[in-house]
Amino acid sequence: MIGCEPRQYVFVQRVWPAVGIGLLMLWLSVCGASPRTATGAELWVGGAMVDITPELPVALDGFRGMRISKKPATSIWATALALESRDGEKVLDQAVMVSCDIIAIREGILAKVREKIQPRSADLDLNKVFLNGTHTHSAPVTTDGKYTLPDSGIIQPGEYAEWMTQRIAEAVLQCWRNRRPAKVGWGQGQAVIAQNRRATYADGTAQMYGKTNRPDFRGIEGYEDHNLEVLFFWDPQDRLVATAINVACPSQEVGGSALHADFWHPVREKLREKHGADLLVLAWTGAGGDQVPQLMYGRPADERMRKLRGNLTRLDEISRRVVSAWQDAYDGAKNDRRTGVVLEHSVQQIDLPWRKVTEAEAADARQQAEKYAKDPAQRWNHGWHQRVVDRYEAQQAGTAGSFSMELHALRLGDVAIATNEFELFTDYGVQIKARSPAIQTFIIQLTGSAGYLPNERAVRGGGYSAVIQSSRIGPEGGQVLVDRTVEALDGLWKKSAK
Amino acid sequence: MRVLLIALTSWLGLTSANTSGAELWIGAATADITPEVPVAREGVNVALTVKDRCTANVLALESRQGERVLDQAVLISCDLCILPGVQEGFRKHLASRQPGFDLRKLSLAATHTHTSMMVAKSPYNDKDYGNAVQPKDYLPLLYERMGDAVTKVWASRAPGAVAWGLGHAVVGHNRRVVYRDGTAKMHGNTDDPKFSHIEGYEDHAVDILCFYDAQRRLKATAMSMACTAQAASGPVISADYWHPVRESLRQRYGPDLCVLGFVAAAGDQTPRLQFRKAAELRMEQLRGLDHAQEMGRRIVAAFDDVAPLIAKDMRSDVPLVHLVQQVDLPARIVTAAEYEAAKKTCEEMDAKKVRGHREWYWRGYQGLIVERYLAQQKGQWKTFPIEMHVLRLGDVAIATNPFELFLDYGVQIQARSAAPQTVLIELASPGGYAGYVPTPRAVEAGGYSAEVLVNMIGPEGAQVLVDRTVEAIEELFRK
Repeated sequence: MIGCEPRQYVFVQRVWPAVGIGLLMLWLSVCGASPRTATGAELWVGGAMVDITPELPVALDGFRGMRISKKPATSIWATALALESRDGEKVLDQAVMVSCDIIAIREGILAKVREKIQPRSADLDLNKVFLNGTHTHSAPVTTDGKYTLPDSGIIQPGEYAEWMTQRIAEAVLQCWRNRRPAKVGWGQGQAVIAQNRRATYADGTAQMYGKTNRPDFRGIEGYEDHNLEVLFFWDPQDRLVATAINVACPSQEVGGSALHADFWHPVREKLREKHGADLLVLAWTGAGGDQVPQLMYGRPADERMRKLRGNLTRLDEISRRVVSAWQDAYDGAKNDRRTGVVLEHSVQQIDLPWRKVTEAEAADARQQAEKYAKDPAQRWNHGWHQRVVDRYEAQQAGTAGSFSMELHALRLGDVAIATNEFELFTDYGVQIKARSPAIQTFIIQLTGSAGYLPNERAVRGGGYSAVIQSSRIGPEGGQVLVDRTVEALDGLWKKSAK
Repeated sequence: MRVLLIALTSWLGLTSANTSGAELWIGAATADITPEVPVAREGVNVALTVKDRCTANVLALESRQGERVLDQAVLISCDLCILPGVQEGFRKHLASRQPGFDLRKLSLAATHTHTSMMVAKSPYNDKDYGNAVQPKDYLPLLYERMGDAVTKVWASRAPGAVAWGLGHAVVGHNRRVVYRDGTAKMHGNTDDPKFSHIEGYEDHAVDILCFYDAQRRLKATAMSMACTAQAASGPVISADYWHPVRESLRQRYGPDLCVLGFVAAAGDQTPRLQFRKAAELRMEQLRGLDHAQEMGRRIVAAFDDVAPLIAKDMRSDVPLVHLVQQVDLPARIVTAAEYEAAKKTCEEMDAKKVRGHREWYWRGYQGLIVERYLAQQKGQWKTFPIEMHVLRLGDVAIATNPFELFLDYGVQIQARSAAPQTVLIELASPGGYAGYVPTPRAVEAGGYSAEVLVNMIGPEGAQVLVDRTVEAIEELFRK
């Protein structure tokens, strides 16, 4: 199969110069000598990005209520970065990482992408390809059956998913073909973006977006990680060609009903203004299941400051902080460019125990599911409760098994990268980072769509994101995830040491 | 009933009248409070060298309507660790100099730098300091130099303007590490399979006030953030990260710029990282900075991000209302078990001919547990009196407390505050040792900073502190 020619829809014209079949590709220069590490390894890097914005109206994912975007506010993109480590002609390891401006990598999406790549790239190990969602709540639904949608006048989720995965596959193939010798660097800055959104009260309960000006408000439940982890890639002429930014906060500042890449859109725009229109920007969301960019208190002072800055929106302000932190990281990291580094990429399936559904939780969910069953407008709510009932029945029947997750763990020089499929509460990310053997550890969440993974204190406090309906895997599974991730990273470092 | 123990005492404010049409008078100066070395350092050792100068930074504010004085405030930020009894001693010193303002409107606060001079010596402290300067020698010097600065500042106050704003700097980190068994440890090891989470929140806001002279030149700035200044280390005297902040700002705004560093609610915060240490160190090395300098760099960046903006909104006619309250907070009650343990520890320490490492330091705290328990059994020491200052300056509320107050309480105050922006100052106006104020989750998890040893009040008292502070701010802003 060549390209993804048969389009059923007319898609938004890109402002980017089209290349080939419409992909915007980032070509890394072929000039210059091939840099090698002391161990003889050589890092090859390639990049590509593809517009995944549909032109026709489309249903948006992320909230309980159905929303139809008639016209995009911004384009949404899939951005692919290929890494390969070579020793002469020998391939040592590979990775292709694709960040997507969508809510999550829903079930079946990764398989579709791999399926489309498979016939066309014999030298790329498909298992080394993974995708992540930035968690924008203003991107298309990619699975059928979640909402009750109009039969016509919009792109149906399944159709969009088919087209989107074709586009992503093209981006993967292009970035793979484009790979060239390159330099890499890493650094960190700080940006106050993530705000823990769970307010706790005197009676021990917690509430997502709960009011904090109540007399019984007792504190914000958990931590916030304001570090910004950044990877930089330069061509042999020291031209910055790609960057990957890891923020422990999902990009969900924007609501409404227009397609939008959220804060990553202005971040990309600003970085490209300074570092060139071809700069490739991978958006990686860290462990941020309990985080959002919205403030839980102190809004008047924030509003005033934005007004003083020239009536900035929150989106402007967030992107301003990300770019500032990125620049701070860059100013340090540019002094330590590596011309060849270790690349190790382990991929494994790990089994996580399901969160046990109690009898009381099942009874409550059953009652709620029945209440919503006959109302098509309540499809989301019905599914939310019915899945708990289904889980309980499988649990009682002894057929539940365990949740299998694809874990990617990478070593790139002194940097570790670890993926998970959840909206992972920040505490777990902190555990992984604290126990990691790497100098710097990147966590990429939502490489799947496995729901919230709350910690123990959140489960005790309850509320959306911590109740049984929100969470298929609980603290027990969270700990297994952490331990297995740390083991995988340790394994990479021990392997490299040998 | 404990509720009955909460005795809110008299309001000492001059007036809370609407100050529309008022004129703000401002004075500011810096006093060098560093003695000759060697000097006994707060904590355990003697400083042999001065890395940089410790200072006291004085800000005087007066609101006037014509010749009529509406209200006053003298705020001093000291590069000292703690200030037990210092404010009282300084007020006595100042009284003899008749500076010309209501001494009740004076509030001293510490930046909590641990590389500073010892100001109080426990009677159990039998450590040999040799010829080093000790509190008995140091306090007169401190009072004299601060007294000179206050007198000068008050005499030189002149019409000016103020501006305020909010920036961010990732400096403070929650230092309480919780393990899977539910216990917590300050600065505990996080590279541990038993590590569960960081106990609480972090707030990286930097509240910034700028003060200008009549020609709109910056003459002083006050910055408050939820972190204590304890990035520096070693047997030296240093103002910690406030030194590079001052140096940097003075290069651009002139050598006389007065920089007041305040600590917001930060009992569980520190600039020391609990994880990600190697990455931080690498970045500092790439920038050629030590940790205190890096923290200073971030604070200066926050200032630079905010100061030019708020300069466009400077005000010379703003309300200044300053309340000074004496508040009795419910004390943390010492349990019989805590008493027994402390008594045993005291006896063991006293039985030794030579006290062990830092035992001379902790003996006083252990003895205080015993003393508190015995008093509480007699119905005494059930409250802990504090002096609390709450100010309105334009749209900003400023509220002090004498504790190392856990951040959650500061968040409560800020979230419930009637003011558009709320500046908190901890370690301010203490009578004696006030200690940490832990949250319920900290008390449950235990560990240093959440135990009775260093808690004069607990969560119950803290809640009263929060409520009284919120009420006072409400009084100033809703009226």
